[in-house]
Order: sequence, then C-alpha cells, then structure tokens
Amino acid sequence: MKIAYYPGCSLHASSKLYDIQAKSVLGKIGIELSEIEDWNCCGATSASKTDDFLAIALAARNLGIADATGLSEMMIPCSSCYSRTLVSQKALAGDPALRSEINAELAKKVEGKIKISNILEVLLARKKELTDNAVKKLTGLKPACYYGCLLTRFPSDMPITDSVENPVAMEGLLKSMGAEPLDWGYKTDCCGASASVNDADMALKLMSKILKDALARGANCFVTTCPMCQLNLDAYQDEVREKYGIAKSLPVYFITELLGVSMGMGVEQMQIDRHFTDALGLLRELKLI
Amino acid sequence: MSTSTLKYSAETSNALLKEVMDRSGQNLMSCYQCRRCAAGCPVGDESGVTPDRLVRMVLLGEKDNALNNLLIWKCLACYTCGTRCPNNIQTARINETLKQMAKEAHIEPNIPRVASFHSSFVKSISHFGRSNELEFMALYEIENYKKGGLTAVKEDIKSTSKLGRSMLKKKRMHFKLDRTKGKSEIKSLFKKAADKRGAKGQP
Repeated sequence: MKIAYYPGCSLHASSKLYDIQAKSVLGKIGIELSEIEDWNCCGATSASKTDDFLAIALAARNLGIADATGLSEMMIPCSSCYSRTLVSQKALAGDPALRSEINAELAKKVEGKIKISNILEVLLARKKELTDNAVKKLTGLKPACYYGCLLTRFPSDMPITDSVENPVAMEGLLKSMGAEPLDWGYKTDCCGASASVNDADMALKLMSKILKDALARGANCFVTTCPMCQLNLDAYQDEVREKYGIAKSLPVYFITELLGVSMGMGVEQMQIDRHFTDALGLLRELKLI
Repeated sequence: MSTSTLKYSAETSNALLKEVMDRSGQNLMSCYQCRRCAAGCPVGDESGVTPDRLVRMVLLGEKDNALNNLLIWKCLACYTCGTRCPNNIQTARINETLKQMAKEAHIEPNIPRVASFHSSFVKSISHFGRSNELEFMALYEIENYKKGGLTAVKEDIKSTSKLGRSMLKKKRMHFKLDRTKGKSEIKSLFKKAADKRGAKGQP
C-alpha cells in the first residue's frame, strides 16, 4: 500500500535518520512512503509569526501537489509541518475566496481531498502488523513519551484522534512491544525548540523541567515523534544538565527506532549512532542490540 | 509595565481592539480573565506579562504596552493558552498579530534575535523554497550583526559552532543545498504576500 509522504526540511537534513527509520519500519509491514514531488518548506512557526498569508499559502502548494497524486492519505512525521499543513487545509476549506486566490498561483491546485495524518496515526492503525513483525520484546525500557506542542494543540479548532492534555498513542504502541511507558507530568509541555537558538536561557529552563520530571518518575529514556523536539532535547541535554546540576542523562529516541529495534533492525539500519546524547548504551544494557 | 483598570474608555480603545480582532480572528471581548491561559503559559513567569494581561491591554486600548512587551517575543506558539481557554481565544494568534503590528509601527522588538530568527527563516524559504540550516543560520547571524554589531554575534558564533561541531560528528549536518524546482510559484506566493501587506511594510 502506498501513502503519500511529506518529509519536510528537517527529515532531509539534520533528522535524515528519522526519514530512513520511518521508511524501514513502514516498509517492513508493506507500506510504501511515496515522497511528494518538488515539495517546499511549510513555513513552520516562523511564517505564521511574520505573515498570515504565507503561513497558509506555503503549505497550500504542498497540498495541491499531494492532491494531484490521487493517493488518499499523506503522512507528515514532523509535528510542525503536520500542524501547518493541517491548519492550511482547514483554512482553505473554510475560505473559498482565499483558496481560489492561492490556487491561481499554483500549477497543482488544492482540492482538499487528501487526508493528512501524523506518524502516530499511521502506526497505530497498523498496530497488529507491527506487533506481528516484532521479534524482540522491549523489556526493561521505561520511556517517558514526549509529545511536545504541535501534535495535539493547534492555533484553531481541530478534531484530533488522541487526548489533547493526556495523549496516549505512543504509550499504547510501546506497551504492545513490551516496553513499560510511565505516567509523567510534562508530556505535552513545550521544550523551547527555536528558542534554543534565539532565547537560549528560556529554552534550557523549559528543558530542565522536562528532564527532571522524567528522571524523577524513573524513566530511562525519552521517546518522541517530533524532529524539532528530538534535536532539541538531544543536542542541548549536556548544557541543560550542566546548568541545572542534573547528574543523569536520558537518550532521546524517535518512536521509529524503538519499533525498528523490536522488529529486529540493527544500529546501522536504524542509524542509532547519530544521537548527541548516548543512545546505544541503554539498548546494549537491555540486550536489545 | 502595568495595566490600569481605571482608564477604560470605549472610544479610545476601540480602534486597537478592532484591528487586533480583525487580523487575529480572535474575539478578545469574550475574555473574562479566568487566567487559565496564564496558568499554562510556559514563558509567562519570565515575561512579566501573561496572556490574560495582554488581552486586557488590548481591551483597554493600551497600544504602547501591547506592542512593546516581552511576552509577544518570548511566546513559543505552543498553543497551550488557546487550547485551555474556555472562550476559545487563541492568544498565540494575538501575539502573532501584535508582532506584525509592532514591526509595521517600527517598534524595536524586545528580543531582536527572535525577530531576526523568524524573518531569516522566511527569507531562506524565499531563496530556495526549502530551509537549509547552514544558509538560514548565516542569514540569521548577518541580521543579528546588522542589529547589534559584533558583540551580538560573538556569543552566538561560539555556541552555534559548538553545536555545529557535534552535528558534524554525528553526521547530522547537511551540506547539499535542498531546493524546490517550482521556484516561480514560490516567488509569486511571496509577491502576493508582499502586495497584500502593501503599505503595511516588510515581514
């Protein structure tokens, strides 16, 4: 089965490993991710902070390309891209004048047909196939599942498939693979993301709260689906620990690499050696790799 | 910065309120100051202004305060305030509008680097259709340099190059320029955006 796929800029660059993992894991259960051709950046949070028209129009061009594929569903792993694309699709459905105005500039017009899914929705719909393909139980893995902001909260009303304040999709998936996900208090709190570059003290403070809570609950790793959150919590963790005197570190996994490991895929295929905070030690200790 | 509940005058506050409501699409008048937004705001403590206070400034017509405060620049667009608002007011959208209005009024951003970050990101999309981390970071530092001189970029370059070194080590740095072929479409969308802003000014 083919699903349209929008990787977004980060899965082509700093989070290329996530792109590779997603294709391997879904490929294993017979899903082919078909990257839409010649996509552009969705504008992310920056477009909506600077220009209301671009915030809708940039994602609209991708929606037109996606509609033209004739496929029924498009998966967007990055939470920011997912959010902007969904918001654009909804805004255009509710504003025919804006839609024609934007369509006039596009080679492939937005029809509004394609269903936009995040990676958890795509994975959860295939939980049985995933568990059927699992060869290792993720015993001993105690993840703090981290959803961040943009997977469940939107700038306008949006019907979502999980709970806004206490989403549980990741926990469900990981439990079925034998892991023991924990209840904790910061699963939808903001990690700061872009503030790590432009307002660093603020971002470090937010990350310290997240890290401290996860450790206090007894987590031995984070799991996330958002490449922005992953990079942030992974790359800046040393700085957070140093500034806030936190002794222990926690690896920050993408959901896909843990699913891959339980399906028997190795370090090289899952590219688990591309983390900033050691991510191999725990998996070795648990004899998962 | 303080807001006074004694200064309300419908006549003087209406112009600001109407502009913010029209542009943000949010009905600020339904705010009853329950402060659920304030309780959830991750940057309220550090900003000295919480979303409820910001709404109140606009309702009172305190334009200077509304366009010139830390919250509109510290806001991370996490959307917690709006998700929890019982009256469905998305304060993050109000922040986006106020940021744009501050720019149009030529008010120096309270955190210039945040403004540079977002305008450089959008500029990088206008160049290649996609965001390329190295090009984007270069644009961002040039912008910081223009605004604050060498001292503004010195610290940044130190911390960014530290991150850059670990990104290199972990093979997470990307050197190939990623670009969209449909450049004329991207260009025309940017032109349309500029036309729409018209007299309102650049992003």
